[in-house]
Amino acid sequence: MTVCPCGSKRDFDECCGPIIDGAPAPTAEALMRSRYTAFVKRTLDHVERTHAPEVRDDFNRAEAERLAEECEWHGLEIRSATETGDTAEVDFVVRFRREQQDITKATLSRFRRDNGQWLYVSSDFNPYLPPQRVTKVGRNDPCPCNSGKKAKKCCGTTTELK
Amino acid sequence: MANHFQCTACGKCCYGQLPLTCKDAFANAERFPLCLVWTPLRYGSKDYPLVATLGTTIKLADRKELAVLIVPTAYLPSSFPCPALGEDNLCRIHINKPSRCKTMPFYPYREERYQAELLTPRPGWACDTSTAAPLVFQDKKIVFRDDFDHERRDLLAQVPLLRRYAEYMLKYSPSLVSSLIQAASKVKAGHVVTSLSSFLTATKNAEASHIAQLQLPILNTYVEQTAGDPQLTDFHKNYVNWSKEMAYLSQRRQ
Repeated sequence: MTVCPCGSKRDFDECCGPIIDGAPAPTAEALMRSRYTAFVKRTLDHVERTHAPEVRDDFNRAEAERLAEECEWHGLEIRSATETGDTAEVDFVVRFRREQQDITKATLSRFRRDNGQWLYVSSDFNPYLPPQRVTKVGRNDPCPCNSGKKAKKCCGTTTELK
Repeated sequence: MANHFQCTACGKCCYGQLPLTCKDAFANAERFPLCLVWTPLRYGSKDYPLVATLGTTIKLADRKELAVLIVPTAYLPSSFPCPALGEDNLCRIHINKPSRCKTMPFYPYREERYQAELLTPRPGWACDTSTAAPLVFQDKKIVFRDDFDHERRDLLAQVPLLRRYAEYMLKYSPSLVSSLIQAASKVKAGHVVTSLSSFLTATKNAEASHIAQLQLPILNTYVEQTAGDPQLTDFHKNYVNWSKEMAYLSQRRQ
C-alpha cells in the first residue's frame, strides 16, 4: 500500500488516486485533498480539469508545473469543511519547502457542485490575518456609533477605540 | 528654453532593461527575454496623473493609492548589451527597432512638458547636446515628434489589456500589493517583476505556445550567461524559472 500524500492515512489507490484518474469526488473536501495530491504527484491535468469553467482559463498551468516540481510537499491539514447544498468551503493549511524555506500557507477555498461534479471556484489566502482595525477616528470620518453623521457632529472629536 | 540633441551612436543607452510596448515585445519574442516590470509611484509625484492613465491605480488602506506602470520589458542586467547591438556599436535591427529605441532620448511615459530633463546625457554617454546639434525641444514642445506620438499612441491603446492583467494579478497574487508598497517606499523607484506566463494566461493569448517556443532558446542563453555571477543571482533565478514555464507552454497544445 502507498500512503496517500493528502494525510488521510488511507491507501492512495482508495483515496485520491481514483479521483485524480477521473472518478467524481464524493465531497468538496475529497476534491480539495485530491488537488493537493495532484501537486505532489505532478499530475496537474486533474487540477486544471476541476477548476470551475469561469476560472479555468485563469489557471497558469506553466507556473503551477514549475511550483509542483520545485516544492517539497510536507503535508496538508484540513481545518474545516462545510458543505451547504451545492456549495462548500474548505479551510486548510499546506506545508511545503521551497528555496530552502519552510512555508505554511493557510487558505480558504470555495467549491461548487455542477451536475454532480465538485469544482474549485476561488480562494482567500491567509484568512486568519486579523482584519485591520481603525484605532483612531478622524473628525470628518463617519462616527463609529453608526449614526451616519461625521464624528465631529456626533460622539465627539477624536475617539480612541479599544 | 531650447534643447539640442544628436545621437552619436555611442551605443551606451543600448544596455540593460528595455521597456517595450506589447506590440514590440511580441514582435521581438525571439530576441529578448521578456517579463513584466511594475513600477509604483506615490501620490503627489508630478508623473502621477500620466502613470495612472497609462498604467493602473491600486487602492490602499487609509484612502491612499498608488499609480503603477506595468511595462513589458526586455529583462537584461544593466551590464548586458542589447542582443541586437552589433560589434560596430550599431543596431542590427535599426529599420524595425522597437518604438522605445526610436523615440530615445524622449520618453512618452512622462508628460511632454517635462521632456527636457531627459535630454541630459547620463554619465559616460556621448550624446551631442551642443548648439551644433539639431534643435529638438523648444517651448516645452518636442520638435520632431512622430516617434514620440507613435509610442504614446501604442501605450494608450494597450491600457485595457494591461488593466485586465493587473486585475488578474491582484486577484491571484494578492501579496503583490505589499511588494509594490515596499518598492514605492524606496528613494529610487523600486520595481516588481512578474512572469510572461502570467501575462499570457491573464490575457488569454492565443499565440502563447508559439511565443513560448521563441522565448525558450533566448531564456536558456541568459541562464548560461548569468550562471555563477553573484551580482546577477536574481536575474539568473528568474531566467531559470521562466525557462521552465516556457518549456511547458511551448509543448502545450492550444
